[in-house]
Amino acid sequence: MTAPKHIAILGAGPGGYVAAIRAAQLGARVTVIENQALGGVCLNWGCIPSKALLAVVELGDKVKKAADYGLTIEGSVGYDPVRMVARKNKVVEGLVKGIATLFKTWNIEHVEGTGELLDAKSLRVVRRDGTDVTVQADAIVIATGSSWPNLPLFPVDGKHIITSKEALDLGSVPKSLLIVGGGVEGCEFASLYSGLGTKVTVVEMMPQILPLEDEEIAAFMARELKKRGVELYTGTTVEKVERPPSTVCARLKDGTVVEAEQTLVSVGRGFNSRGIGLEKAGVQVGKRGEILVNDRLETNVRGIYAIGDVVGKAMLAHVASAQGKVAVQNILGHASKVSYNLIPVGIFTLPEIGRVGLTEQQAREKVQAVGRNPETDVRIGRFRYAALGKAQGSGDVAGMFKIITDVKTQNILGVHIVGSHAADLIHEAAMAMHLGATPAKMAEMIHAHPTLSEGLMEAAEDVEGMAIHLARKKS
Amino acid sequence: MYPKDLKYHNEHEWIRVEGKQATLGISHFAQDALGDIVFLDFPKVGAAVTANQQIGEVESTKTTSFIYTPVSGKIMKINTDLKDHPEVVNSDPYGKGWIAVIELSDPKQVDGLMTAAQYEAFLSSQKK
Repeated sequence: MTAPKHIAILGAGPGGYVAAIRAAQLGARVTVIENQALGGVCLNWGCIPSKALLAVVELGDKVKKAADYGLTIEGSVGYDPVRMVARKNKVVEGLVKGIATLFKTWNIEHVEGTGELLDAKSLRVVRRDGTDVTVQADAIVIATGSSWPNLPLFPVDGKHIITSKEALDLGSVPKSLLIVGGGVEGCEFASLYSGLGTKVTVVEMMPQILPLEDEEIAAFMARELKKRGVELYTGTTVEKVERPPSTVCARLKDGTVVEAEQTLVSVGRGFNSRGIGLEKAGVQVGKRGEILVNDRLETNVRGIYAIGDVVGKAMLAHVASAQGKVAVQNILGHASKVSYNLIPVGIFTLPEIGRVGLTEQQAREKVQAVGRNPETDVRIGRFRYAALGKAQGSGDVAGMFKIITDVKTQNILGVHIVGSHAADLIHEAAMAMHLGATPAKMAEMIHAHPTLSEGLMEAAEDVEGMAIHLARKKS
Repeated sequence: MYPKDLKYHNEHEWIRVEGKQATLGISHFAQDALGDIVFLDFPKVGAAVTANQQIGEVESTKTTSFIYTPVSGKIMKINTDLKDHPEVVNSDPYGKGWIAVIELSDPKQVDGLMTAAQYEAFLSSQKK
């Protein structure tokens, strides 16, 4: 009997820990090296803690409308940031322990310390107490992730100029907050802090906030943020930052001056590809510092694989997990590939956004690129939350569904949802696209009433102008 | 429904001219077509605007639609009361539901707009 393959995984974020479990499931002996908490940025300082805090603001938003709902509340309603953070930490700790338990059941060894490649088959790990150990493996998976920005213009001090890490551990609620970058993170924090009563200003370099989203959806979100009192500056950048003792004063390119108690830097993440021994093992990196990998997620060095943010493909937790599974499957003889063309994305603003596939602009450009008419060959179905009984019942009426289709092939090119539970709802659309369903097929399937999912059925019907709960359009 | 002292625009805005200033709002027809108005996105005070340009958005429970300015000039004031009570645009579109005050840069543009009678004729021609 041959000994099982030994796989060493450097990093236990959503890429590394998932890779470890899948490798163990497939019979490998697995060692995971992590110098911080299991679960990585996603679980400890990203996806999960931000959702734990946003849930409180979502609840608070509803409670503030209690009287409209007929709910009587005695006394005042307010936020206690210390208890919010304590609850958030408890949620995170529980999930971190969950990973540790999974590791135990699969006999995965966790070496706590900072790892560095020595060659293609060995790593040196320095533990916190300074002692070190060498790990020998048949294959290595690098899953070191990415880290917070450190830009010369915004010297992060953790007090007045902060990153998302500090923004999630708020000890008190700032009176005002300038968010540099109106991408996913910036807009999520704008939703969170505006809910807590902070005067929020967002500065985005691109002409729209959420530059990767469909224009109509981004405009919808801009309105929702403005309703929350958020001030948005798009198509401009921060030119200069001054630091009076207790504030941050930012001068924008257009001359506007924004003064705020705190500034959150939500632009750019750096790849964690330095100081991990890539040179010693001969692993190639790209111009941005990302580790270069092939379709199998193997680097130029045989037996060394890399996954997650550090390979710089789509920097999303769920993509890292998918890559982690694929990498170890390849190591263990189950050839597989990641399909990047269908990645659902959730944005946890208030309300949420769900996206899969192309935006309207991308769809029209794609059709035009093959010499077809972008106006007539792309058809769009829309439906609003306000016309759904379920949305009216719960009071979550702000939102819309948008299905973008290719008239000729009947393929669904993209689906966008903004509104309550959008990040959950998007998966029906993603599955439809995954299975190659047409809008007609989506509409044909009976949807339970009353649900928010009916909105997808109606939007699919609207592609042919046949949505039941839409007023007749003028012809 | 369509006060005679106002001038109307084919995108369903009205203006009331007093000296060099024009108050702007949306017409009864517009508020009725939109339904319950829940939010208005205003232009920034001090912004220079050009006739027929989009200067903001009105969102109702049914749809979202642009606000156009019928005249060129500079935004002098916006009706901040509407931030908390957008429904006033439905109940009083020509009074408390005004949206912005513009300082006219070209008062002659007002002559090109419709009178109440012309606007009503325009609306009935649209119905056909």
